[in-house]
Amino acid sequence: MRLAALSQLVRLSLARERRGAFFSAFGVAMGVGALVFFVGLGLGVGRVIRERIFPNDARLVDVVPPAVSLGSFLGGGKLDTPMVERLQALPGVETLYRKMSVRAPAASLYNGDFFGRKMRMGMDVLAVGVEPGLVEGDVQLGKFVDPGPGQPLPGLISTRLLEIYNNTFAPARKLPTLTPSLLVGFTLPVDFNRSYVTAPLPNVAVISSQVQVVGASDRALLAGVTIPLDAAIRLNREMGQDAETYSGITLVATSPGAVPGIMAAVREMGLEIDDQERRLAENVGAAVTLTTSALALLSILICVLAAVNIAHALSASVRARAKEIGVMQAVGASRSDVRNIVLAEAGVVGVAGGFLGTISALLLALLIDRLAVSYLPQFPFKPESFFSFPWPVVVGGVLLGLLAAVAGAWFPSHRAAATDPARTLAG
Amino acid sequence: MIRARDIVKQYRDGDGTEVRVLDGLSLDVADGDFVAVVGPSGSGKSTLLHLLGGLDVHYQGDVEVAGVKLSGLKDKELARFRNQHVGFVFQSFHLIPNLSAVENVLMPSHFGAASPEARKRAESLLDRVGLLAKKDRAPVRLSGGERQRVAIARALFTGPRLLLCDEPTGNLDAATGAGVITLFEELNREGITLLAVTHEDRMSSAARRVLRLKEGRLVEETRPALAGGVS
Repeated sequence: MRLAALSQLVRLSLARERRGAFFSAFGVAMGVGALVFFVGLGLGVGRVIRERIFPNDARLVDVVPPAVSLGSFLGGGKLDTPMVERLQALPGVETLYRKMSVRAPAASLYNGDFFGRKMRMGMDVLAVGVEPGLVEGDVQLGKFVDPGPGQPLPGLISTRLLEIYNNTFAPARKLPTLTPSLLVGFTLPVDFNRSYVTAPLPNVAVISSQVQVVGASDRALLAGVTIPLDAAIRLNREMGQDAETYSGITLVATSPGAVPGIMAAVREMGLEIDDQERRLAENVGAAVTLTTSALALLSILICVLAAVNIAHALSASVRARAKEIGVMQAVGASRSDVRNIVLAEAGVVGVAGGFLGTISALLLALLIDRLAVSYLPQFPFKPESFFSFPWPVVVGGVLLGLLAAVAGAWFPSHRAAATDPARTLAG
Repeated sequence: MIRARDIVKQYRDGDGTEVRVLDGLSLDVADGDFVAVVGPSGSGKSTLLHLLGGLDVHYQGDVEVAGVKLSGLKDKELARFRNQHVGFVFQSFHLIPNLSAVENVLMPSHFGAASPEARKRAESLLDRVGLLAKKDRAPVRLSGGERQRVAIARALFTGPRLLLCDEPTGNLDAATGAGVITLFEELNREGITLLAVTHEDRMSSAARRVLRLKEGRLVEETRPALAGGVS
């Protein structure tokens, strides 16, 4: 049967059964719309968790020395240079970046102008040194290396810390909100071996320094300041602290698939993996996925009900059109022609329903995003959009409508094809 | 045109009793013939018509129509045969109610080869049966006779050489029925072979041969044109 003829017959049939076709398409639209909406919401929230709350490169493995290690007494479990070389030699490791904490307390007392406001604030800070390669993409000012004693240290702050400051601290204290680029060049005093909460290192002089913000990074320490590794080594050395072993190593795998093998090898070496954030992200992600899946399942159930509705409607239609089907067979329709006509009718209803449902979901998402911007209070990590609709979801919505309708039409179409024209047209 | 040999058609009814509708029937119809099939209800007239038209394939025996041997044809081949070689005219017209007269006539075009002239041909056929002025009317707005003429135009659409008619005047009054019979006579004169199942004497009288069926067998053949007929 020619496509043009098929489309003409389908058009004629649907025009006659407008009401039934409308309700069938509406059912499909409800199911598809709900599914696309909830999947889009789940993907959107998941994206915020993955990219903003717990940004995590799937290829990175953070190695830390064990909290308690018998091996340390025997010379194992320490992140020293030989261990770094062993880690570098592990299969699947592309490169690694060393980290070293400044092994003394540090405090910052700021008293001065803070972007147009007078501010006086004192707090303890943590400082960690990292290799420049780990953060080079985030450094906006100068080189991320130790400038030497007496010079302001280049420092990176955490983008998440900035997010929390902007949406929680700043509004509460009536302070200005800040962007990473605005902060670049800002300098704050930091005294190493001074603390408001713990005792300083005995017999070690305070090293007064300045930290100049050179950018914000996802890889920077959340509650502190990230400085160049060589600066951390120098400070530890100046304060008589361990400047030989590292507080952490970030391994970069050749691919995400190599990560499990690397993690196993690292554990066999008596070291630990700092995957707290990764697990937290996975747990939150799993909770979102679970909720999304439950809602998606509910939506699929609506699609199934829509398919059942189409099956009922088409069964009734096929029964009512038995003579018409018999006539079509008498003038030259084969059984497959009849089956294709019924399936095509359902297909048009399904595609229309799927399209309407998907468009409705997109519009509803847009509306919710607009309302969220206007009416939801600002909070950390509040996204511009709570939704994500990659094209497979959009196309999949329309295809799901088609699938539901064709599935619903399957038995009615076969029943129609089995019409016995001799019996139907007799009398 | 038609060659049927030893046709047996049987089925089991609700009680499981075997019912033999056609019982070893053989039949020959020449090109351009006009044959009326008569007989009491249940004698197998309509069943014979359906077998000859390829609507019913569950039978024993051999049927050849317009040079096509129907036994063993696949569904698609049978459908093509019905589309190209035969036209059906039914007692109840069987027009599709939501289509206009011309759209009903065009129905066979959907299952055959594409033709840009299809609509023109449908209109020409409606003109032939005197209904061109009512081509856009739905069947419900046509009289019984007009509906049957639309059905005849539909049957003629693909240019078949054989028309199979099942009680074509059964639902028409005498005057309207006479008009339809006259149309059949004209078509027959133009070379179309007609085989009509009928209870009507008028139709039998118009035919060249009258076949009488009884209990699935051909029991009598008469030729109304010849005085006294021939058995």
